[in-house]
Amino acid sequence: MVFWSLLKESVIFALQALIGNKLRSILSLLGITIGIFAVIMVFTIVDSLEQNLRKSVQSLGNDVVFIQKWPWTFGPDYPWWKYINRPLPAYKELNYVLENCEGAQSASFMVSANTTVKYRSSSIENVSMICASYQYDKVKSFEIEEGRYFTEIESTSGRPVGIIGDVLAKALFPNQSPIGQEIKVRGSKVMVIGVFKKEGESILGGSVDTQVLVPVNYARSLIDINDENLDPQILVRAKPGVNNDELISELTGLMRSERRLRPLEEEDFALNQTSLISNQFDSLFDVVGIAGWIIGGFSILVGGFGIANIMFVSVKERTNIIGIQKSLGAKNYFILMQFLFESVFLSLIGGFIGLFIVYLLTLAAGDSMGMEISLSRSNIILGFTISILIGVVSGFVPAYGASQMDPVEAIRSS
Amino acid sequence: MQGAAIKRPGLISTICILGFIWIVFSFPGVFAPSLKKLGDWYPALFGILVATSFISYIGLWHMKRWGVQLFVISFFVKETLLVLIDDVSFVGVVFSVFFIISMLPFYKRMDVNL
Repeated sequence: MVFWSLLKESVIFALQALIGNKLRSILSLLGITIGIFAVIMVFTIVDSLEQNLRKSVQSLGNDVVFIQKWPWTFGPDYPWWKYINRPLPAYKELNYVLENCEGAQSASFMVSANTTVKYRSSSIENVSMICASYQYDKVKSFEIEEGRYFTEIESTSGRPVGIIGDVLAKALFPNQSPIGQEIKVRGSKVMVIGVFKKEGESILGGSVDTQVLVPVNYARSLIDINDENLDPQILVRAKPGVNNDELISELTGLMRSERRLRPLEEEDFALNQTSLISNQFDSLFDVVGIAGWIIGGFSILVGGFGIANIMFVSVKERTNIIGIQKSLGAKNYFILMQFLFESVFLSLIGGFIGLFIVYLLTLAAGDSMGMEISLSRSNIILGFTISILIGVVSGFVPAYGASQMDPVEAIRSS
Repeated sequence: MQGAAIKRPGLISTICILGFIWIVFSFPGVFAPSLKKLGDWYPALFGILVATSFISYIGLWHMKRWGVQLFVISFFVKETLLVLIDDVSFVGVVFSVFFIISMLPFYKRMDVNL
């Protein structure tokens, strides 16, 4: 009971000391504010970018294998000369995969091209036209807000039907439903049968909001689907319970047999998966995180030295008060706590301000960048932890020095 | 100062100086991304351990028994935590055990008060 009342009194003394020297308190907590701001801001940006990237990668499909000409591994030793002469994935290979791959749940052939989409006098340039075979909706994750997906007959017979993104729908048809309307794609009429649900910005690009999806058999009349610039690829989704490695192993065998490769001959196709992208970004985020950690870490350390300095001054200034307190029976731990609380409060207030600035900036950045940037719970805990820690570490030495003072000598000091 | 009565042996001074240097370099480790990935509260736990170690070195510097006691407690808590996250460092354990063994001969000479 006595301990708690002494503790309460220490807190009151510490607060009074802080309020009594407002300017000094503000200047000394500025170091911590800047340090906490630097560290938490870097971590918040890295975490948010990582989260957005994972969301984008997930939308490509974690259990989808992409059969392509070029592999997704990059680096200084990328042997492009080995890949450049490879054949492109062909539509007939999709049928072979669908017929023979036991681990595949669904598969689709797709190419993409940039185009201009027109409706009456309105036109939008640089729209991504996705030309895909029937099972595209089973390998790619998206939702249809209005209307429907292609039927199998529409897809195989190559009917001029299309599904457009939310941005296109709002721009071309501001006051009416796009369903049943005819848009012009590469000079050819396409009937809108569906509108994708709004997806938002994607860090990897390729958001469905600005896409128009048409059956690949229809697109044959508009573009050359075997053109390398259109990046033809076959997307294969694994059956539930079949992991990507098993699927890749099976697809390797099937593609080798389809392309009649001899046993010792190198593969002339690439089997890509989304983990290849996320792994490369993981190492990038690790580097950025470590850089932020080092820069912020040492700036907080400097802030800590500032607090330690101000605490030494505070002890020096109040030496005779300490002497009076001790001569009236104040225990060593009471004096220790009094100064320790003062330094912890100082750095906690500094940390709180730093976190608040980060929070305000995340709100502002989120609105202006159109990307979700949020201050996570783990970063808030981290911010307060560092503040308390720096307060204890930088305040302990002066506080301990004050607690060990001889009351007589302390009273005598001027 | 009341605590200046007991003379500090050179070995304890060396341990404390090494300890303070270790604290300066391990402090940024509190917000290491690898620690954050383990869970929201791990940086806080590691921070408490760093602060406790620092305080124990201060106690040791002033030849206080609570310094040794705090050092031993923080060592065991830290190692338990490292075992739980499967990140035990052999070098760290050897250094800490060496420090504890080095402190023990001087323990009786140390001050019992705060």
